[in-house]
This record gives sequence, structure tokens and C-alpha cells, in this order.
Amino acid sequence: MFRLTFNTAILASLLCFSIQATAHHGGAAYDGSLSKTVTGKVSKFHFINPHVLIYIEVEDESGGVVEWSGELTSPNRLARMERGSTTSWSKDILQTGDEITLSGNPARSGAPSLRLRKVIDSNGVVLVGGD
Amino acid sequence: MMYKQLVALVIILVISLCNNVFAQAGDDFSGVWTNNPPEENRGFQNSALRADPPPMTPWGQARYDQAKPTFGSRSVPVLETNDPVYECFRPGTPRIYMHPFPMEIIHSEGRVLMLFEYDHVVRQIYTDGREHRTDLAPMWMGDSAGHWEGKTLVVETVNFNDKTWIDREGVPHSDQLRVEERIHLDDEGNLLIDILIEDPIAFTESWTGQRRYRRVGWDIEEFSCMDNVNFVPFEEEVLNYEAN
Repeated sequence: MFRLTFNTAILASLLCFSIQATAHHGGAAYDGSLSKTVTGKVSKFHFINPHVLIYIEVEDESGGVVEWSGELTSPNRLARMERGSTTSWSKDILQTGDEITLSGNPARSGAPSLRLRKVIDSNGVVLVGGD
Repeated sequence: MMYKQLVALVIILVISLCNNVFAQAGDDFSGVWTNNPPEENRGFQNSALRADPPPMTPWGQARYDQAKPTFGSRSVPVLETNDPVYECFRPGTPRIYMHPFPMEIIHSEGRVLMLFEYDHVVRQIYTDGREHRTDLAPMWMGDSAGHWEGKTLVVETVNFNDKTWIDREGVPHSDQLRVEERIHLDDEGNLLIDILIEDPIAFTESWTGQRRYRRVGWDIEEFSCMDNVNFVPFEEEVLNYEAN
């Protein structure tokens, strides 16, 4: 009988997550064919239903600051899938001022907003997503 | 003293016998379950019961064409949808299974309860032999009555209103919808729910789907539908963005 190894199970979970990043709606507001990555300091972190929201302040090319938002799945799901691991999600996993990297599909409207596929914290730890 | 001991022994035997009879009614589905779809169902399991739309009557097709779902090939942004769930109405049966949150099954004497994390929806499946109620108006989740066939729980649900959708992609149904579920365990301990859909107003023929779940040691957490409503300002901000 085929048995998943622990690592395979984790990879499968991440793959599953990357496909089903949103729970309460589809992704029509975002362009699934495009990918965008931004790095900046956390300005707000809302660990709320139906979707976790992360805001970061990103310096643009002209030296100005743009606040980008990133949308994840529900906190319930983030907490469960990482429970017991070093990347377990909680309301305290990100702090204001943390420098983090967000990758995902950009909003079709041009808004500085991402449907997140990958989140890397200030220590380089991947909190969501993978290669 | 001897008499009291004998009475106590008889009581214990009767209770044991009753519990045994109850336990033999079928398999034990107690616990928290999460979606565990087979590979071929993963592409649509969070939004539909089958890969393609079912065969619809003109009535069903007209309703389908009017639907503006947020999932599937016809998806629109949340702010443009007419999906009744976004007004926090109950999702209906079997649509509740397509919301990607766990459910807990609780066996009770004469009832099997399904407690869904999504908006804490509860289904009461009566297994005490009662008939369907005839005194109630049509309902969002319908009226469920079940019986055991060996280890399989067979559930018939009727008396729906026609306001919910079968799935999250806008497949409609009428108030003549009848849903039959056969709930059982496979050899690996997965919970299988074989679903038969019948509705002569909406569909040209009956059709089927299947859900598969795995048992997990999770808690059922809070998830209020009204949080979706509270999320609307963020969605408006993203959708209606205009660059300076």
C-alpha cells in the first residue's frame, strides 16, 4: 500500500494550499496569470475571517512609500495546516515593522493588492507556499 | 443484599444490551472530518459536485444563466455576485459540503448531527424512524430523515426552498429537489458520501456526485458568515481602485 511520507504530506498540503488559497470566494478580482513580489515592513496584520490580511509598506522607484495588501485564506485553516510546526500561524506570527516578502497574483484593477501565494518572514522562513 | 446485587446486574445487562443494539445500527462516524478528495475531484471539489454542469431543463438552464457565481468558469468578483450565501443565507444541501471547512459528526440516540465549521450550520438527521415533516414550510437545508442499511447511513432530504444553489458555481434547483446520501466508511477509514440528486423541474435526469473526507484531530473553530459582510469594504477597495 502506498504511504505518504511526512515530507510528501507537507508538500502535498502546500500544493493544495497554493491552489485553494481563498475559501469564501473565487479569485476573479485577481489575475491568476500574473505574479508579483514585494518586500516591505508590516504596517497592519489582521488575523481575521474570512481572510487573513497583511499590509506592508513598500518603497517605490521614486522613493515614495506604497502600502500593499495581501489576502490569504482563513486563520482557522492557516493555524490547522501548520499546527505543531515552526511555521504555525497565530495572531502573533507577524509584528508591525517586520520586514517580509509577499508574492502572489496582483489585482486586475491595478490596486496594490495580492492574492498571496507565498509569504516569507523577516528570518527568511517561508510561512506559506513554496517553490 | 443478594437481591440488590441481582437487580444491579440485570440493569447493567439491559443497559449494555441497549448500547450494543444502538452501536450495531451502523458504523461510528463520530469525529471531525475534512475534505480528502481523490485526485480526479480536486479541480472542482471546493465549488461543484461534478466536473461539468448537470443536464438541465430549460427552467434549470434559465436559472443557471442568471446566476453570477464567484467560482467556476463564469466567476465574477464578490461585489458582482448574486450568490445567496453572500447574504448569509444557509448554503443548502449538498452545497454545504463544498465550503472548504471541516465538519464534526455527532451520534446521538435517534439522531446523527453534522456540525459544520462554516457559519456553524447544523444538520439534524433523524434516525428514529420518523417520516418527513409535513407541517413545515420549505427550508434552506431541507428536512433530513435517515436509516441504517447495514453500516451505511442512508439519508433522504426534501422540503427545500428554491433559493439556494446546488453548488458554488450557480447550478440551481427547485422546491422539488430530493437529495439522497449514502454515508459510509471505506477500507482506509475515509468517510464517503455518495450523493444522488433528483429534481424533475431543474434537471432532465438524476445525477450523482461523491464527497470524501478524512478524520482529523482538529477542533471546530468559529467562522461567522457575517465576517464575509465585514470583508466587503476591503473587496470594494481592491475592485474599485483608481490610480492617482
